[in-house]
Amino acid sequence: MGFLATRRRPAATSRVRTRTGMLRAQTFVCAMVVAAISMGACTRDTRATSTSSELRVMTWSAIESSARGQTVTMRMWRGDQSINQFMDTWVAPHLASEFGITLRTVEGQGPEIVNALLLERNARANGTADLVWINGETFSNLRREKLLFGPWADRVPSAALLDSASPIIMRDFEQELGGLELPWGTVQAALIYDTLRTPNPPRSFDELARWIHAHPGRFTHDQAFTGVTFLKELMYALNGGVSKFQGGFNEPIYTQASAKVWQWLDNTRNDFWREGRTYPAGVAELHRLFANGEVDFTMSNNQNEVITKVRQGILPPSSRALVLRDGTIANAHYLGIPASAPHAAAAMVVANFLLSPEAQYEKQRPEVWADGTVLRTSSLSPDWQRKFGALALEANAILSDTLSKYARPEIAPQYHERLNADWRARIRDTPNR
Amino acid sequence: MTHSRRALAVGVVLVLPVVVGFAYALLGATDVIGGLGQPPGLARIQRVLSEAAVWRGTAWAMWVAVASTTLAALLAVVLSLVYDGTSRTDRLARALMNVPLAFPHLVAAAVGLLVLGQSGMLARILMFAGVIADSAHMPELVSDRFGVGVIVALTWKEAPFLLLINAAVLSGHGRGYQEVARTHGASRWQVLQRVTWPLLWRGMSPALVAVAVFAFGSYETMVLLAPSNPLALPLLTAERYVDPALARRNDAFVLAVLSMVIGLIAVAVYERLRSRIEDVGHV
Repeated sequence: MGFLATRRRPAATSRVRTRTGMLRAQTFVCAMVVAAISMGACTRDTRATSTSSELRVMTWSAIESSARGQTVTMRMWRGDQSINQFMDTWVAPHLASEFGITLRTVEGQGPEIVNALLLERNARANGTADLVWINGETFSNLRREKLLFGPWADRVPSAALLDSASPIIMRDFEQELGGLELPWGTVQAALIYDTLRTPNPPRSFDELARWIHAHPGRFTHDQAFTGVTFLKELMYALNGGVSKFQGGFNEPIYTQASAKVWQWLDNTRNDFWREGRTYPAGVAELHRLFANGEVDFTMSNNQNEVITKVRQGILPPSSRALVLRDGTIANAHYLGIPASAPHAAAAMVVANFLLSPEAQYEKQRPEVWADGTVLRTSSLSPDWQRKFGALALEANAILSDTLSKYARPEIAPQYHERLNADWRARIRDTPNR
Repeated sequence: MTHSRRALAVGVVLVLPVVVGFAYALLGATDVIGGLGQPPGLARIQRVLSEAAVWRGTAWAMWVAVASTTLAALLAVVLSLVYDGTSRTDRLARALMNVPLAFPHLVAAAVGLLVLGQSGMLARILMFAGVIADSAHMPELVSDRFGVGVIVALTWKEAPFLLLINAAVLSGHGRGYQEVARTHGASRWQVLQRVTWPLLWRGMSPALVAVAVFAFGSYETMVLLAPSNPLALPLLTAERYVDPALARRNDAFVLAVLSMVIGLIAVAVYERLRSRIEDVGHV
């Protein structure tokens, strides 16, 4: 976080006496000079990069050959070892050998991507990312601020393999993709429990509330994305399902529906972990509390995360995922190309490869990432169909027909934003009692 | 370049990041940059500074800063008085006390979590010893309202830093002054009161301000050990910077300005106190 770098230890600066006006003037002049030099150094260079209209008329083989020898910088969440390993040790070597492209993955998830691109635009600096991993409100923010390149996604040959009938894949938090992002993977939220500690877990929000009362201090959710997804599912459940919220953000509906969420939380949170006075920062902290036996549930946006985390020894082997019968949120995540990307053509080639059956299969393997495919597997070759079919039979995977039965789509990103902000103000910052 | 000009240039280079950072944060706080359609002005500052959560987070971070600095200072003074000899064991003890300096604050916080957490090492030892029945009975020392975990971790990190300064003060002219006082018949208590303590205090006080201001903004310690209510100012700042609602992200600049102003006030108060003490000619 760049601005945090401005925090400083004042002892060093306190010795700098700025008492005379002359010194103040000199400081100001120096600051201006340095600012001017640094501005000049990073002013956008006019090196020709392909524009979206140029790329639209180029043939795919021309795009591939223009991409050869280029380096694609991908800005993505780097918080999961298995994902990093997939990108660095499987994807990158394939891209290098098959397409002559060097892949560089760098840290930066949703909000940081938006901030970085806004900052680059404000500073008129060269783009530093060619490919970004996004969805939901990040996509909405990037699109509204016109920070995305494209449309390009329909130019990618692998896009023909997409499961284009799936609203969960082809709509991102109810937003049209508009060719500005390409689906990459799909996940469904799930609770995670330990079959030894909780042999009969709750199967609905009603049962969950009863379970929480019966087991005080053993349940909580995190403060970040997964926690808000949990609240959104609760909002669906308490208001007769998702349909009420579809078709864009509606303030009166939100106010009425969220009131039930706050009421549910007010009725249960005294029996949350630490009596609901504090919440884990993110899902990694929640996993830790679960693994240490401080709470009996953790959760994930990816129903298969339990499989990879058990393999990594982070969660106990008897951990399983659970989808509540009220429905859990399924969504997809996407690849976008920033408007300032220096290597848009190469980024398209990378995206095309990431969507190939080969890469999608590798990504979905439980020992790799266990991220669901966005391809319509039924129209792939019999060989690939067999391979993808075998993945669904993994011991602690939830069967795909169960998953799709309880899958609920995302709604407009404003619901997420408001639930997030209101939960902080009404629940987190306002203790019960 | 003359010496004084060189000194000036070094000073400017040191202060420049602060000036640029402060100016940038101020531009963000007033929506001159990154306002995304918000008209430039003081509206954001007014809104953010009227939030109770901001002041509760500020007060909490101040409490943690003052408590951990005080504890670290006490620890440093006591240890440097007790182990100030030239014997091998004293020297070894002083060397060992410096070990925490080698650890980054994030590591200190992670160690704090492992040791003080509800299911941490301390809880297990107490359970083993039969003091508590299970981890649920372990007092909350992490993510707790009073910030015990944060204070312990910061004290553990900062005490050796102050100790190092004390050792330098005492091993310089300090020992000479102590000897002189003793030969003039001063008692041990008088030496401590009239020589050692003033020397330590004077040597340590700029570092105390630095430690307190650093502790106040110690995001890396708080992110692992602090509670979510009240959310400490550094955590609130970071949270706003990545808020899902784009329009709220510039709030982080208001909070950054607030932290910087508090830091500057701490420095100004210190400078004033120091000049007053020097004017009086104390020590």
